[in-house]
Amino acid sequence: MELAGELRRLLPAGAVIEEPEQLRTYECDGLTGHRMIPALVVLPETTGQVQAVVRACQAARVPFVARGAGTGLSGGALPVADGVVIALTRMNRILEVDLEGARIVVQPGVTNLQVTETVIGDGFYYAPDPSSQQVCTIGGNVAENSGGAHCLKYGFTVNHVLGLLVVLPDGGTVRLSADTPGPDLLGVFVGSEGTLGIATEITLRLLRRPEAVRTVLAAFDSTDAAGATVSGIVSAGILASAMEIMDRLTIEAAEAAVHPGYPAAGALLLVELDGPALQVEEDLAAVEAICRGCGAWEIRTAADDHERALLWKGRKSAFAAMGRVSSDYYVQDGVVPRTKLPEVLRRIAELEAEFGLRVGNVFHAGDGNLHPLVLYDSRVDGEPERARALAEAILEACIDAGGSLTGEHGIGVDKACSMPLLFGADDLEAMQRVRRAFDPSGLCNPGKVFPTPRLCGEVPGPYRAHPLEKAGLAERL
Amino acid sequence: MPSVSEIAGVEEAAEVLAGAAGRGERVSIGRDGGEVVLSTAGLDRVLEHEAGDLTVIVEAGVRIRDLNERLAGHGQMLALDPPGNPTIGACIAANLSGPRRHRYGTARDLVIGVTVVLADGTIASSGGKVVKNVAGYDLGKLFCGSEGRLGLIARVAVRLHPLPEATRTLVVPVGSAEDAATRARAILRAPVAASAVDLLWPGRLAVLFEGGRRGVEEQVDTVRSLVGGRDDDSVWAQIEQRQAAAPGRRLFSPGRLAEALAGLDEAIVRVSAGVAYVPGAVDDQRDPAEAALAERVRAQFDPAGTLI
Repeated sequence: MELAGELRRLLPAGAVIEEPEQLRTYECDGLTGHRMIPALVVLPETTGQVQAVVRACQAARVPFVARGAGTGLSGGALPVADGVVIALTRMNRILEVDLEGARIVVQPGVTNLQVTETVIGDGFYYAPDPSSQQVCTIGGNVAENSGGAHCLKYGFTVNHVLGLLVVLPDGGTVRLSADTPGPDLLGVFVGSEGTLGIATEITLRLLRRPEAVRTVLAAFDSTDAAGATVSGIVSAGILASAMEIMDRLTIEAAEAAVHPGYPAAGALLLVELDGPALQVEEDLAAVEAICRGCGAWEIRTAADDHERALLWKGRKSAFAAMGRVSSDYYVQDGVVPRTKLPEVLRRIAELEAEFGLRVGNVFHAGDGNLHPLVLYDSRVDGEPERARALAEAILEACIDAGGSLTGEHGIGVDKACSMPLLFGADDLEAMQRVRRAFDPSGLCNPGKVFPTPRLCGEVPGPYRAHPLEKAGLAERL
Repeated sequence: MPSVSEIAGVEEAAEVLAGAAGRGERVSIGRDGGEVVLSTAGLDRVLEHEAGDLTVIVEAGVRIRDLNERLAGHGQMLALDPPGNPTIGACIAANLSGPRRHRYGTARDLVIGVTVVLADGTIASSGGKVVKNVAGYDLGKLFCGSEGRLGLIARVAVRLHPLPEATRTLVVPVGSAEDAATRARAILRAPVAASAVDLLWPGRLAVLFEGGRRGVEEQVDTVRSLVGGRDDDSVWAQIEQRQAAAPGRRLFSPGRLAEALAGLDEAIVRVSAGVAYVPGAVDDQRDPAEAALAERVRAQFDPAGTLI
């Protein structure tokens, strides 16, 4: 391949991977059902090298895909056939720590947890905490606009990125900032799933560690009761930093896998509060009273970091724990307005019966982000397809309730064909205008986010009125 | 004389824009200029407010203060406090914000969905009405700061916050630039969660606390013990007035407050954001490449140059 020779010339020794066995490492991300071996993988170390690679790809008309740690769950870093993967793992330096200004500048290959570890000794931390935070990279977080359990109070990656140096798809660079005049290009870049360019320097906001953190675990008979508690906490004007619910199946799986010593309940609610000590104590008393009022029969409060970690242990390992009760599972990432949670959970229970498969429910209840785990056995004929159909039916239920296809995992290739469920042709075309402004060549991570005839067939899915459109229509009646 | 079109619905806006574009007329939104001036004053309905979801969908002509009066009845608020009483559409188009951006962010941090009408009359939506949502490009953010050049913002879904039980303000006198920076630093590092930390330069720091009654009192005591000061709620009206009169904006690195102040005679300073409102025009400190990219985006959204 001619491009390979050109890239070897442009990059340091060992930065171009061509061996089929080594290329296989990059064939998929966390969405392992989709695989594609790229033509080449490059490992640049500087912004200049990323620019050189992008320019070489443009000259050869070869598509390129940026990749961080490969922990994404929607196939955003899935290679393109005959394309180049630009793996940013060697760009893993912290460039500047500015504690006076409460910000840090990092390269994209720095891991999420590394940011907090760098500044925690000085009393600061980085708020977004996706569950893969030990390995996932900041570059990937920027591409996916990653959330985490605590985004309920503190927001998502986009609310914490103050500036970016981006290598545009034509190989040029641009510095984007949050407060400059003109349209918020930084805001649209974050979460664009690697389709608008490659961030090579990222300025993040750091927060002061809160004076106090308290975690409460409450046991209920049903997810309905746990859900009602969440509504009660919200109506009381309490802004918790996290509110998580696990259902019976998930609790059992977690118990079997990591023995967190959870009560055998129909549902568990985990609430975390942080802030000034007295404020947290005030809110904690209110939360405990609301839990009891909604039928909690056991309440545990963590007194220190060790106890806190124990309460979180089962929740954090819930996905992995499902391996104990089922050989395979499919994770969904639907979102519903919080008040629609009970309705949608009932619909999921109906769908379980209808499809003859079990679904474990773990969710970020505070922001209505569901992670239903559809359990199946890939050795049983037809089960994978049924599981997939059930997962899609759950997504449709979320959208019918006024929600969204994805709260934090992204669209990638996984849900590109479902985009017409949420957006009409004009909506998608407006987004394409952004795409064309950034990437007129269409070579930057093609085939992701947007449905294409090749990927989805010619027939678009059934379009439902967009939630904002629905709101407008309802008013006119 | 330009014709003023007060549109009352999204479809009507699409017709007016498509018509003007077809006739080769130029259109401005909510300000003077061009043959057609679009006014969103008629787009003033609150479309959907589900209190339990802490979200609201409104038409873009709804004014912030009117919306907040209505939300207060449900113990909620839209945490945007720019000077004057702008419409929500103007807040987004100009990315306006006030003192409480320290805690709640600016318009871009609160918008969760938009319906826009492009220059050719295309109606497009992005985002939705849920706070957590990463499906597709976020046009709501893109339109923040777009100044009416990408299209008309017609409908907006925003995230709300609970109305605090108690509110208190501490005003701290400051002397030199170094003294101001030292005191500001002490406040930002204190174990408190302030809603606003503004500097009225030269002279005073203003710190706003919101939350439960006991929690707020404790925080005021903590900060007062560090930097002194006394209660004075009237300072926010002064800040609003001074910010409105000083529309120029200068950005600085928040870690270098003292240096930034050395070059300023008079300003309202959002110390944690690194933004100083000063007399004069907005200072465009963009990377020329960002301005060029913004122009490419504009050309995609309005290739005929209808919107001015």
